[in-house]
Amino acid sequence: MSAIDHDAAPLPSGEPRPAPVPAPPLSTPLPAPARPRWPQRLRAAGMRLGLTTLAGLMLAAIVHIVTILLIPALSQRDAAYAYRELGAEGNAEIVPLARGSGSLPALQEADPDVVTAVCAYDLAAGPVRVVARTGTLPLGLTLQRQGGGVIYAITDRAAIRGVLEFLVLTEAQYDERVANDEEGETSRELRVVSDTERGLVVARVLAKRPSDRGDAEALAGGVRCGPAG
Amino acid sequence: MRILDLAYILGLGAGLGLVSAHWAVAGRPAVGKVEVGAWMAWPGSGSRGVDPYMRAYLARGVHLPLGAGEGVELIAERSDDGAHLDGRCRYRLSGSVPTTRGWTLGVTDGAGRPFALPLDRASFSDAEIVRGEDGALSIVAAAAPQAGNWLPLPAAGRFQFRLRLYDTPVSSQTGETRAANLPRIARLDCR
Repeated sequence: MSAIDHDAAPLPSGEPRPAPVPAPPLSTPLPAPARPRWPQRLRAAGMRLGLTTLAGLMLAAIVHIVTILLIPALSQRDAAYAYRELGAEGNAEIVPLARGSGSLPALQEADPDVVTAVCAYDLAAGPVRVVARTGTLPLGLTLQRQGGGVIYAITDRAAIRGVLEFLVLTEAQYDERVANDEEGETSRELRVVSDTERGLVVARVLAKRPSDRGDAEALAGGVRCGPAG
Repeated sequence: MRILDLAYILGLGAGLGLVSAHWAVAGRPAVGKVEVGAWMAWPGSGSRGVDPYMRAYLARGVHLPLGAGEGVELIAERSDDGAHLDGRCRYRLSGSVPTTRGWTLGVTDGAGRPFALPLDRASFSDAEIVRGEDGALSIVAAAAPQAGNWLPLPAAGRFQFRLRLYDTPVSSQTGETRAANLPRIARLDCR
């Protein structure tokens, strides 16, 4: 016997059926709203879980990208923050390679055979002139901007009569300098535009033998970085 | 129910987003990596247009990457046969090094720090090694003393070789360098 037949069977007690409700005019009675069955409920719940998971994954992608982009701007463990005070005297200062040597944080992933000296610059006070004397040991100078990225790199092979010299300026300071150049004359100074006001001048000298270390420290620590006249 | 959905979306989004970001920049990112033989390099790390993952990785510690015109750092975690470098084995580094003003070859842990070994020899520079008659490079890295150019290793555990080339034309086109131009890392035997 089917469920429908069962529903249609007369009441077992034999009581008379309640009087039928008067039918609405012109139409048959509306069927009562069917209750969702289990498979349908499961499907709806699955659909909802899928949609919310998809939304969660999209949010995760956004959070991932924003976090990756914000890390350099917010980091207080990076080199630009750790070495922001160096070079205030107008000379690059040598940074430690191992922990526990001085108050400065040690440089990570550094070559133990290389002497590194750092000088922080802030272009808000005007352009900065960097002057390095070269010697027999390989010397490299880089400009590392705050927030990551090496904006300029030069080695001592570009030195003229044993001196490497360049000017670090912002775009506006560069334009001003070009406007002040003598008409018809070529400026001989090397100008490097930094797109951030703050950054680090990094001098690296390779000490090929342990006995070269003194010379390397003198070369790296002898890099001058002061306000340009 | 709506609040539950929202909490699920926010929890999943924030949790997965932060964990994946942390995981992506906890070590050197896979983005921008160039592999030449057993050596890996990230030549983009020293340029103006450094990719966001490398930038985030570098900002999480006191790093000053070599500039693109200044030099390049190559890292090897495996020998030429694909096995992880392990202090219990002996390795021979041989072959040639690209044209450069100077190079250093060091042994470091996974974070780039030299090991504190009894013998103070964490690296060789190009001026320090003894070469054969043909001028070729031959360095043996092992925990026990070896004849010739011996680079001491820790007694056991993983380590890396780091080859830094200074002032080299290779730095801007590291990806086009052939593996034959870099030292080969052969595993000789293991304890």
